[in-house]
Amino acid sequence: MRYEMKPAFRERMEKLLPDKEDFSAFEKIVHTQPKNFIRCNTLKVSPDELMKRLNKKWRVVQPYSEYPEIMLIDQVLAPGELGNSIEHLLGYYYVQEVCSMMSPLALEAKPKEIILDLCASPGSKTSQIAAKMENSGTLIANDLKLDRLKILSANLERNGITNSIVTQRDAVALCANLSKMNFKFDRILVDAPCSGEGTLRSSPKTFLMWNEKVINNFSRQQKKFVAYALKCLKVNGVLVYSTCTHAPEEDEEVMDFAIKNFPVKIETLNLPLKCRPGITEWYGRSYSNEVKKACRIYPHDNDSEGFFVCKMTLLEEIKEQRENKWER
Amino acid sequence: MGEIKFIKTPEKRRIIEELSRFGITEIPFLLIDWGREKIRAFSGTLSKEEIMEITNAARIDNMGIYFLKREETGLRPSIEALQLLKNQITKNIIDIDNAQMQLWMRGHDLDIKMPQGLYVIRFEGDLLGCGKSNGNSIFNYVPKERRLRKN
Repeated sequence: MRYEMKPAFRERMEKLLPDKEDFSAFEKIVHTQPKNFIRCNTLKVSPDELMKRLNKKWRVVQPYSEYPEIMLIDQVLAPGELGNSIEHLLGYYYVQEVCSMMSPLALEAKPKEIILDLCASPGSKTSQIAAKMENSGTLIANDLKLDRLKILSANLERNGITNSIVTQRDAVALCANLSKMNFKFDRILVDAPCSGEGTLRSSPKTFLMWNEKVINNFSRQQKKFVAYALKCLKVNGVLVYSTCTHAPEEDEEVMDFAIKNFPVKIETLNLPLKCRPGITEWYGRSYSNEVKKACRIYPHDNDSEGFFVCKMTLLEEIKEQRENKWER
Repeated sequence: MGEIKFIKTPEKRRIIEELSRFGITEIPFLLIDWGREKIRAFSGTLSKEEIMEITNAARIDNMGIYFLKREETGLRPSIEALQLLKNQITKNIIDIDNAQMQLWMRGHDLDIKMPQGLYVIRFEGDLLGCGKSNGNSIFNYVPKERRLRKN
């Protein structure tokens, strides 16, 4: 079944990709299946060892020399085949789209740090962060809904993550409580719930479900998540914000909000995928030039899904105010 | 989850003693009683006090990994526990062949005669969980979500 873009979505994407050939390449690729990427779980097996094993059954390549853990199964697979191998069941790899690996790469987690993954389910990024932490320090993986927590916990279990504490709380309430207790993190990942425009290839029903009205609702929620998360960040700590949508209201606008309300510095990213800079104008709204440092990942640039990543550092402690200006 | 029950050193020593039947001499994790039967292992660096503080901010669903199960006949390590302690496991291992591995990972018991007790099932270096021998066959404990599905 082939779904088409709703007119309003098409109009927005044409505005983001004004070059006709560029838009046409985007439109073409979103109707194709995404490539089969996996990530080697270095907590259990080395990339070399996994390559040896998997090459006996599939054609596997490591497209990014600096990141040998990222592997591409370069052949057609039966549905569910990647999830039904002994190596997967033993947690030697995680089936994960390459875009979704970018936010943990941007986060640059280190061993022994205290890290918060605020919207953690299903756990692909959480387990990638834990691998970088070498199962040391502490990784708090939070999500709200019980069914999502079950998936998260099962994935962390299979991947042998021993440094995690899985919590169930609304993201804003969790951060509000932790900041009251003066509990601070070295790094925080806010991989926020979003309208999902970047997932058309793996989830074509997004074409049908797309709804312009939800974008502004998500945007408001995302700003709150970032605002409260920043309150739990150590000075010089790092917050990475990511979504799987192209909607600027949920991407650059949220970053612009952070820049204008908090003492943060947006960092330049160095990721292995082709990134386009964040945009500074959108339907009459202007965003700070700093948001150009964010990374827009388009499916046709990398033969991937779509994604947005931005990284910021907290420059000084956020003073608690009785009333937050931005909440008015 | 109510109060988190950290397992104290004397009990941890007893656990290690029981697991010495597999060659285990050290468990480099904080062990936590989780419910009536399960023991979880946590490698995080937060202190017990800091962990208790977090319970004031959110409901803790779980910590670390499911490590051991308390059964009437003794402690049974999970697949993850075996993988984490792989380098220490030297005893009471059953090496299986590819055909047996295919059966085991699909949840079948194995027709292998061994003295009664708990064994680690190993295939080409991979530890595939524990099985319990009744003298005639090895009972399978691979959880459903970790089994191979029929193609």
